[in-house]
Formats: sequence, structure tokens, C-alpha cells
Amino acid sequence: MFGLSFLGIPLGFAFPWALAALALLPVIWLLLRLTPPRPTSEPFPPTRILARLISREETPARSPWWLTLLRLMMATLVIFAMAMPVWNPKNANLSGEGPLLLVIDNGWASGMDWEDHLASANTIIDEAEAAGRQIIAISTASDARQKVEISSPDALKIKLASWSNQPVQPDYKLSMRKIAEANQKFAPTGVIFLSDGLAHKNMREMSQEMQSGTSRKILFLPDTSNTIVINSVENLPRSMVGELVRANPKGPKVLNVTALDLQGISVTRQQVTFADGDKSAEFHFEIPVELRNDIVRVNIDGVQNAGAVKLLDESNRRRLVGLISGEKHDNAQPLLSPLYYISRALEPFSDIRRSSNANVAVAIPELITSGVSALVLADIGLLPKQASSKLHQWVKNGGMLIRFSGPRLAAAPNNDLLPVLIRRGDRNLGGALSWEKPKPVAEFEINSPFFGLEPPREVFVSRQVLAMQEGDLGKKTWARLTDGTPLVTASKIGQGWTVLFHVSSDASWSNLPISGTFVEMLRRIVNQSRSSLTVSDNQDIQSLPPMRLLNGRGQLTAPAVNTKPLKLSNGIVPAVSLGNPPGIYGTQDGFRAHNLFNADAELKLLEENFLGTDATIAKYAGKQPLTLRPWFLLALGLLLIFDCTAVMWMAGQLSFLRQKSAANKMAGTAAILFGAFVICTTGFINNHARAQTQPPASSSRQVDALSKDFNFSPSLRTRLAYVITGVGVVDETSEAGLFGLTKFLTERTAIEPGEPIGIDISRDEMAFYPIIYWPIHASAGIPDDQTMARIDAYMKQGGSILFDTRDQVSGFSGGTSSSPEALLLQEILGNLDIPPLEPVPDDHVLTKSFFILSQFPGRYSGGELWVEQLPDEKQLENRPVRVGDGVSSILITSNDLAGAWAIDSQSRPIYPVVPPNPIQREIAFRVGVNLIMYAMTGNYKSDQVHIPALLERLGQ
Amino acid sequence: MASQIGALAPRESGQETLARARARAALIPDLLVDASRVANNVFSGWHGRRKRGIGENFWQFRHYVNGEALSTIDWRRSARDDQLYIRDREWQAAHTIWLWVDESPSMLFQSDSAHVSKQSRALVLAFAMSELLARSGERIGWLGLTKPIVARNAAEKLASFLLRSAPQTRIPDFTSLNSFADIILFGDFLDPVEYTLDQITRMARQGVRGHLVQIIDPAEENFPYGGRVEFNDPESGMRITTGSAGDISREYKNLFAARIQTLREKTIKLGWTHTIHRTDSLASRALIALHTNLSGDANYSSAAMKGAV
Repeated sequence: MFGLSFLGIPLGFAFPWALAALALLPVIWLLLRLTPPRPTSEPFPPTRILARLISREETPARSPWWLTLLRLMMATLVIFAMAMPVWNPKNANLSGEGPLLLVIDNGWASGMDWEDHLASANTIIDEAEAAGRQIIAISTASDARQKVEISSPDALKIKLASWSNQPVQPDYKLSMRKIAEANQKFAPTGVIFLSDGLAHKNMREMSQEMQSGTSRKILFLPDTSNTIVINSVENLPRSMVGELVRANPKGPKVLNVTALDLQGISVTRQQVTFADGDKSAEFHFEIPVELRNDIVRVNIDGVQNAGAVKLLDESNRRRLVGLISGEKHDNAQPLLSPLYYISRALEPFSDIRRSSNANVAVAIPELITSGVSALVLADIGLLPKQASSKLHQWVKNGGMLIRFSGPRLAAAPNNDLLPVLIRRGDRNLGGALSWEKPKPVAEFEINSPFFGLEPPREVFVSRQVLAMQEGDLGKKTWARLTDGTPLVTASKIGQGWTVLFHVSSDASWSNLPISGTFVEMLRRIVNQSRSSLTVSDNQDIQSLPPMRLLNGRGQLTAPAVNTKPLKLSNGIVPAVSLGNPPGIYGTQDGFRAHNLFNADAELKLLEENFLGTDATIAKYAGKQPLTLRPWFLLALGLLLIFDCTAVMWMAGQLSFLRQKSAANKMAGTAAILFGAFVICTTGFINNHARAQTQPPASSSRQVDALSKDFNFSPSLRTRLAYVITGVGVVDETSEAGLFGLTKFLTERTAIEPGEPIGIDISRDEMAFYPIIYWPIHASAGIPDDQTMARIDAYMKQGGSILFDTRDQVSGFSGGTSSSPEALLLQEILGNLDIPPLEPVPDDHVLTKSFFILSQFPGRYSGGELWVEQLPDEKQLENRPVRVGDGVSSILITSNDLAGAWAIDSQSRPIYPVVPPNPIQREIAFRVGVNLIMYAMTGNYKSDQVHIPALLERLGQ
Repeated sequence: MASQIGALAPRESGQETLARARARAALIPDLLVDASRVANNVFSGWHGRRKRGIGENFWQFRHYVNGEALSTIDWRRSARDDQLYIRDREWQAAHTIWLWVDESPSMLFQSDSAHVSKQSRALVLAFAMSELLARSGERIGWLGLTKPIVARNAAEKLASFLLRSAPQTRIPDFTSLNSFADIILFGDFLDPVEYTLDQITRMARQGVRGHLVQIIDPAEENFPYGGRVEFNDPESGMRITTGSAGDISREYKNLFAARIQTLREKTIKLGWTHTIHRTDSLASRALIALHTNLSGDANYSSAAMKGAV
């Protein structure tokens, strides 16, 4: 097969000689130029005008250049299609004699491009079959049961398909033996090594074995830019730090590292950047420890191999802390309990276990068995011997023992579970018998785990136990007072620590336990402890069943049948092997992460002369060969359709589409072209289009419906509104009254309302109106609950309602409770949540909001205007207006205001005022103005009390 | 076969169009040619000139002035008081109106959106005018064909004259036109604007008032062509092929409109009138426009046109 390798185009032709026809293209070009489409002949009287437009007369013997180009393209396509083009042609050359040895790396590093390995292997099998050569296939990450044999190509392909890459290191020692066996049995003359690009252990030996006796050597090297692993992850006190290692240090690389919790939900993500030449890079997850504790898996995004996944177990997780106190549990006075502050300080980041048994001898083993990683002993001086030895053993195995002083500890003899030797008795600072003042805590030193914490300035230690001077006391001290005496000391015993606070765990010796620093200190100490699995003392070997295992691509999968349990002997974890692939072992309650790399990854690139300098270096074929002929023919067909349409269009054959206007004609042409296009592509876009067009259609319909139903006109201008009662006369009066008031407002004030509007309180939106006039008529009835809720909401949102019972004359005793309207109003108000009311007091802002008024008459003059009661505050001298925030949401009158305001179209009053006093109507209008002003400006006028002061300041 | 947009219609004879012209003319009220510019004219027409002169109808009584013929005194009126009165009659005079229709081959063009060919429409308009003018008693002549005639059946006569003569493709010699005559030229005026303008300027110098009726086909104005088209001029035989006619449509339309605009401005400057008539509209529309122009409202309309320009 002929490959067109120049320019890196992986294009080949099955019949390259057909391309010779390309030489005919110039001839075709000439021919095409000679046969233009015939034009339509049109008699056209103003041709002389056209002649001025088209300067040169077009040669009729020439078709447009783009049509020629189109046809040349078609001719080229035909020639190319005849040459049978192939994308990604296979290019291995396996001619020769004798069997071939095919060695495939199927270790973890092949995870990224395992498909390419398989594809290349299949290609080799095909080529070998074509060349008549037999193949012995050996994989490097298989166990000793792998057979060395010659298989038929088909059987080999099936075998290949059944192999997958393993999440383990390839075993070259074993492979070497297998290759030796193959050399002995079949004496292969050629070797092909599909490597993973990395140098593994024992590769020199295997290389020698592979080269022995073979003449033809092909080494496949993959692209190693994505061979990156997570080397280590550590949960440090402030962040989770990990290291990435890559095989190929060439070029910069930017990656994302994602941390996932047990459910596979992403906890955090961070970008990691490899500079050019860097082999390793670090990442820091700086998130709270609670979140870090949830992380069970750290992935490198986009890198698929078993090394790019780091599994975390409980050693990286939340600690279990046991608490034991020397005192009795006292629930009645918890603040005095020595453990109270400790448990409060530990709760945010660790689980706390207390022993149910008050006996320390029982409690300590019990807590140790329950798997605590840290144990707090508050003021326990003397430990029972048995408990002491157990505790000692536990600390040696990595336990964290935290001890607090107290009278008991101060009195007890020294033992080896204290980090330092302490003096008997305690030091009392600032007490009655001491001349020293309580001491603050000094800055934390750089080698202290508390380094970086703000030293608690507010903490004073008044009492403490003192350490004996020893040589290494300074090293053991984690925190000290300003006079240099240690406050916290620690020493390492085996793998564990003992930590001593030289103060008591309650607030009696110092106020450290009630400071925020205490929490941070405990957090740091506990984070230093290592959580351990529940390992029973008497069991040296522990067997953990596989729970979820990584496959070669770095995905967590269910364990395979042949996976063995993870056997821990004395806590030592066996190496990753085919029997124990990386993954999570154990149960949901306690599991152990088994990782391919534990801070020991060292990735080296395989050298190109691995199989000797005469070996051929090959690249993995990324893609399968693709026959391009059908696509060329499809393109040809499309061009043909386009060509026909264009010719018809140019010749005017599409005139049957022609409408009166040219635009329609263009649309028609476009429709034909589009139709042809649609026929070709219907299959592709059908489902897509259907899925995409639905939602916008429905949403736009919703918007339409909304704008259709909703009448925006009331919101465009401020308008006075009244409630439609359903009683004709009342509604007409209301309308005429508000019309009159609107005119009055427009003439006299800055408010220029629109036409008054009647609203149906059960249906219409009321939010647009600052005040609503509601005449009460006995026959109107009470609105239903839903309406009452709307009114209530309107009033609560700042609206005002002016109720008018219009019964001042008809009601006895000045329109109070006896008239039917008043009764109805009482019923309505009974359903509303309204504050207490009062008649407008003399100093209410209503009396001054525009005109100065002393009474509020309408058509009648006797009734009171009721408003919300103002908070009763002390009156200042010479303060004309009482201050109260907001606007009264309810105003009640009985004076028939609308009756006084009502005018007809000639501006003549409709109703006479009672008593017939012409001034009263004017006053009534002024009442209306004040009401509207009040509703719209609120307590603004009451602020005008400051005007004298302001004027004075201005010097007037 | 490609369906053409335009075609050359067979030439229509005068007699055929005459009947149609009569039908159109029947719709138009009697034409009164504005005689403001007309001096004393010996030929009597049937129409009053709204001034005293020779005629049959009573116009006014006026006082007798010494020196006037005694026979003109209206004794019956004079007997009613002490004054002598003369009975004036309304002056009735005919006006000479020349017609001319361009019958060049380009006039035979008819596109598929037009009702008739340009030539057909031009003849119809000319005959309808002569019918109308004859009804008003005007003297009607056909340039290059007959002298002015006064007859009720003038249109018929003109049609029969036309039948016997060869088609006129150019404006014939008009040196015999006397001043104060009106001339109505029907045609498409697709000749170079300069030629047309030269002709009408010379006519105007002789004192002739003219009316151009430019008859165009909708296809000539809208240019509904697209694709590859070969255009040929029926008059000169010029051929032009264009690859995509749609591309030049806009430019052509601009140019065509500019031509019309130029012609119109120059015509109006001469005091003439210019009427555009498209063959896809009704003939009566052009008749009404002409009627307005001839009746003297042209001053208003031309002023309006100038304003529009």
C-alpha cells in the first residue's frame, strides 16, 4: 500500500496509479471553459441602458469561474475516489522468514493507550499472516501460568482481546524466563516489543534475552507525555499535600487533580503545573480538615492509569480520641468537669470516645481496643500497672497520649508516660503567697507543631507543674510561657507521642482551655497522631477482603474472582501484585487503601536502543485505517446536486419558482438548495433538532400568555383607586369624587394622577396604588378569606386603605358603631391584622402634610378620621409634629369624602355639603390632598420640624 | 425551453385600438383645453373661452362705447332704462392639438406582467385623446400624417390615415408647427435622453406647448431578470449577455429612474408636462393625467412635481 507520509498526512491509496489521471485536469479545465450554459434570450428595449452598466460584453463562450472550479473539483474527487484513498494506512513491514516474538507490555503504564496497543498488535497479526509468519505472544504483566505457544491468528486475536492491561508493575524477570522458553522452543527470527515506554526492573536481562538470535527487531514506543502518577498524598495539619511524578520531563504540562469522596462526588480540584524539565510537581488541597477527611480518592483528570489514582484510607481520616478523667463524671456541673473543655475543643474535628467505666484500669484497654488514635488523660497521676504497660505498648505502636496536669498529676511520681520529669508540687503564680504575676504564653517556636498559631495574648497561666531541667527539655517543649517555663511538652516513644499540658484541663489553673487557641492546639496535636486500624494484639496476620479494585485504566471496579485478600502481617502491607492489585481492601467500616505507589515512584523512560541500535522504532497507530472512498463519493454527489441547481438557476430554469418579486425568487432557489441539503442530512439532525426546538417554544408561549393576561397600564401612571362595591350609586360617586380630587390635585399640587380607576379587590393587582378609597355599603358584604388575605398583604407591603362608612348623618351619635355600614366595617376589620387606632391627634402629620387642617370634613363634617395609633412618646417642646415612621395602613372616616369631592364633567359639584357651608367643600378637598400627600410622602413632613434650625444655620 | 419574461407583440392597427380608445374616452369628461395662451383664433370651436368674442352664447351686457357698431346694441335691454347696452357673446374658439405616437420596434415590447404592448397602449391613449378633443371641437392633427382637422369623427379619420402609412419610428419634421399649438407625444423615449431633449427643446422654441406621455413596461422598470440572460435590443439589434442578471438589477433600476428623472426635470423646465404611464396600469389613469394637464391644472401639478423634485 502506498502511503503519503509527507507533511505528516496519514493518507494512502490502494490504486495510486489512478492518480495519474490528475494530469488530465488541465484538459478538463479547457473543455469546461468551452461549454458554458446557454443563456436565456430576452428582448429588452432598454438594452442600451444596460450597455452603460456592463462595460464589456461578456464572452458567451465562457462559463463562470466558480462553476469551472466546481467541476474541476468534481473531476478531482472522481480521480481520488478511483484511487481508493485510505486514512491511517498500516505501515508495518513484516516480510521475512521464521516465527515472530510479540512481547506486549500490559502493566499499569499501558492504561492510557491500551487500545492502541491492541490495535497495533492486531495489525501486526494481520501483517504477519499476510507474510506467512507465525507469532508467539507474551505479555509482561502476567503470572507464571502464561503459556508460550504458537497460536493461529484468530485464536491470537481472541487471546489479545481477553488480555487487559493490569494495574501492576510488569514483571520482566518472569517475562525474561518466558522469552527464553520461547527462544528455546521456536527460535523466533524477529521480535516486536510493544512497550509502555518506561524502564522497569530487570529490563537489561530481558533485553538481552529478546535480542538473542533475532535479526528483525521492532520497538514500539508510546507517547509518554501522559504517563503521570500520584506518588504520595499526605494529610498535613493545614492541607493535604501530594506529589505527582511524570516519566517524560519534556515540555510544560498543566493538569487537574480531583479529590473525590466515598460516593465519588468531587470534593475539590486543583491545578498542577509541571514546568519544562520537571519530573515532579506538588499539589495542596487547602480545605478544612472535615472535608479532607472525606477524601478517599485522588485522581489526575484525563490520565488513565492505575498510578494516577491514589486511594486514601482511615490513616488520612478523622481521628478517634478517647477521653479519660480522674474525676467522677459530674453531669450537674459540667463546666467544672475536667473533660468539658477538652471535648468541646475536640468535637469539631474528631470523634470522641469516653469509657463507660469509671475505673481507669478498665477504661484504658477498652478505649485502646476501640481503636482510638489519641487518648486524653486529664489529671490522672498514678496509672494502674497493667493499664500502664498496655498504654505504653499502644503509644509505641503509634498512639498519641495527651495528658493534662492537675493536683493529682502534680502529686504523683514520675513515670515513663510523661514526656519530661516534673517537679513535685505545682507553681502558683500571682497567688496570695506569690509575688509573680500570672504569665502569658510566649510565641510558638519554629520546631513546635503549634508554629504559626497566634499566641493567645489573653491567656494567663496562674498555676502549672514545672519540668525538671534536662538537657533536651528545650527540644521537647512545644509551648512555653514568657518566662521560659514549658507549658506543653512532648516526647516521642516508638512511633507514638506523649504530650503533656502543664496546666489543668479546666479553667482553674489557667484560662487556656477556654481560649480559641486551645482548640487549634488540640487539633494540631491530634492531627499528628496516626489513625490505625483495629488491630487486635493477639493476631499477627490480618486478612482484608477486596472491596473495590482499580483496573488498568484507573477505574474502581468490583473485585475479580481471582483476587486474593490482602494479608497484613504485623501491619506490613504486601507489595502490589496480580493477586493483590491496587484498590480498597476491607469492609465499609474499616478499609485499607492499597496503592501502586507509596512515595516510591521513580519513572524512567525506556531508551530507544533497548533492543539494540539496529531496532526499528515504531509508533502506535492511533487510529484504524479508514476507507475514504464512500466519503469522496458522497461529496461528489453533493457537488453534483449543487452543480445541477446552479446550472438550472443560471439558465433561468427555476423560473417556475419565480414569483413577482425577485426576493421570492431568491427564496425559491434557496429552498431548493436547502431541500437538497435536508435530504442529505435529515438522518443526522432529526433527533437533535427535535430535542432542541421544544423548550424555547413553550417558554416563549408562557411569556406571551403572561404579557397578554397582565395589564400593565395601571403601573404606567400614579392613579387614584377606589374599590368597586357593586352598588351603582356608590361606585359612580366614588369615581366622580376621585375625578374631582384628581383635578384638584393637578391644579394645586405637584401630584398629577391619571384617570381614577375602580378595582375589584378580589382580582386586581393593588400594588400600583398608594392609597385605595373603599366606601362601605351595607349591601356589599364581606369579602372572602382569600380577598382578605390580599388586602392584608397590600396593607403590610405599605399600601393604605381609606375606609369611608359615609354614615355620619345617618348614624346615631356621630357615626359610631350602630349603623349597618359601621357594623360591616367592624366585621371586615375583624378579619384583618391591624394595629390599634386613634382619631387623628392634633400633632399628626396628616394635619400638616400639605394644608394645615384641624378637622377632616367630607360631605358631612362631624365624623372623626381614625388612623393607626402612633407610639406614645415624650413630646418635645415646640415640636409641632409627632414623629412616627411609615404611613398608617388604614384610615377610617364616616364623612363621605367622595361625596364632597364629586364633580360632574362641567366641574360642578354633584352633591351638596351638609351643613350647606361652601367652605366645607374646599376643606374637604384639602383633606383629600393631605391624605394623598400623606400616603405618598409618609412622614416626610414631620421631618420639617428641623426647618427652623436649618434656616438659622443658613443665617436667615 | 426557458419561459421568457418579455416578448415583442404584433403591431396593432389603428382600427383595432380605436374601439378600445372610444371606450376609454367615454369615461373621461369633455376636455377643455386651456386657452389662456391662445391668441385670437379665427377658427371657431365648440367651447366657450370664458371671455367675450365670437360665439353663439350670451356672455354679458355692457355699456355702449362710442365708435362701436350700432348693430351690436341690444335694443331690448337698452329699452329698459336710459343706457345703451351691447350684448357680448362668449368667445368660442378651437385649439390645435397635435398627436404623435412612437411606433418603433421597441414599442412592441410586452412583458408577462403587462396587459398590452407599449405600442397598443400608446395608440389607445392617442385615439382616446383625439376622441375627447374632437368632442370638444378642437382641431386635431397627427404629426407627419395629417394636417389639423375638425371633425366629430376625427379619431376614426386618424385611424384610417394611420392604416395607410408606414409606422413612424422617429419624430417627423415639425417645422410646420405654429405657436400656441399643443402637442402630445406618446412613446417610450428610450433613445438617448440628449436626442429627445434636443427635439422637444426645438419644438418649445417654436412656441409649442408639449405633453410627453412616457409609456414604459413594468419589466423595464423592475428588471425581474436573474441568472444568465442574453438581452437584445429590438431596435438596434444590440446583444448583451450577463452571467447573473440579478446582480445588476439594483444598478439598472437606479439608472433607469435617473433617466426618467432627467427627462422629467428638463421637460418641466420647458413648461411642458411629463406623464409616466406603465402598461400594467389602466389606460384611463393616463387619460385623466393628460386631461388634467391639458385643462390647465398642470401649473399646479407641475409646481407640485417641482416641489417633489
